[in-house]
Amino acid sequence: MIIPIRCFSCGAVIADKYEKFKKRIRDEEPKKVLDDLGIKRYCCRRMILSQADFLEEVIEFEVKGP
Amino acid sequence: MKVEILEETDNSMRFILSEAHPSLANALRRIMVSEVPTLAIEDVTIIENTSSLYDEIIAHRLGLIPIRTDLDIMNLREECVCKGEGCPNCTLKLTLNSTGKDRIITVYSHDLKSEDERLKPIEGIPIIKLGKEQKLVLEAEAILGKGKDHAKWQPAVVGYKYYPAIEVNGECEDCKKCADVCPVNILESEDGKIKVIDEMKCTLCKSCVEACEKKIIKVRGDDKKFIFTLESTGALKPREILNKACEILEEKARELATLL
Repeated sequence: MIIPIRCFSCGAVIADKYEKFKKRIRDEEPKKVLDDLGIKRYCCRRMILSQADFLEEVIEFEVKGP
Repeated sequence: MKVEILEETDNSMRFILSEAHPSLANALRRIMVSEVPTLAIEDVTIIENTSSLYDEIIAHRLGLIPIRTDLDIMNLREECVCKGEGCPNCTLKLTLNSTGKDRIITVYSHDLKSEDERLKPIEGIPIIKLGKEQKLVLEAEAILGKGKDHAKWQPAVVGYKYYPAIEVNGECEDCKKCADVCPVNILESEDGKIKVIDEMKCTLCKSCVEACEKKIIKVRGDDKKFIFTLESTGALKPREILNKACEILEEKARELATLL
């Protein structure tokens, strides 16, 4: 849906790094970007790598009030 | 107990704890994770929410946002002068008011307005996305709490390892098998003998011990010396967390002494 704020396993904050990551992987290697952003543990890395953004798609289906 | 800081940045720190004991190292780690108080949002009053997420999801996300904490100006609610009722000494009020524009907008943690300039949510965390004419208005109350009650109050991720002690004793044939097998490449042959380049990098995997046919390498962890890694969420500076943890440990020891 939307990037979780903290890593499920260790509790480190990862949400603030996700947008930077998304912007940079357009022309950089994901491994290098993750290392650069200081996301070292594999629990935090999977949070970023396995994220599927679809909140923006859900917004389209909003039901207007009564 | 001695502390030597190896590296320190705004939100992470590595240090060596020496002249210690495994139980002391673990006590310190556990206190840093679950006993050092920080601010986090506990109560949320949703005034208007026409967004695509449920109130509960938004409230949960708000709770996880770290808030820059000053332990000198905030009290734990149960220890406060107001006796747990909630007053400006133990409660921080925050408000959020956002409306979607023509295109989809992202509401960030820094859009949360704090009543105190010194205590602000850390920046850049997306809370929600709002579409056209979607609205989110809410009030939140943040209080001090401890990591043992909820992970949102956990100020840091802390880990430690035993300080590696690598010994090479005896006749070495210089077969370089140990150097080849080392995953962090810290063994090197020099003048027909194996030398350790950077022992701190050693992960204590003991691959070299297995690879050595002559069995002359010994790897063990020094149980009086520990390498700590501390990664703060941003609520407190790493040094503040360490200092506060030591204070709490001291206080606990004192309390134990009076009970014995």
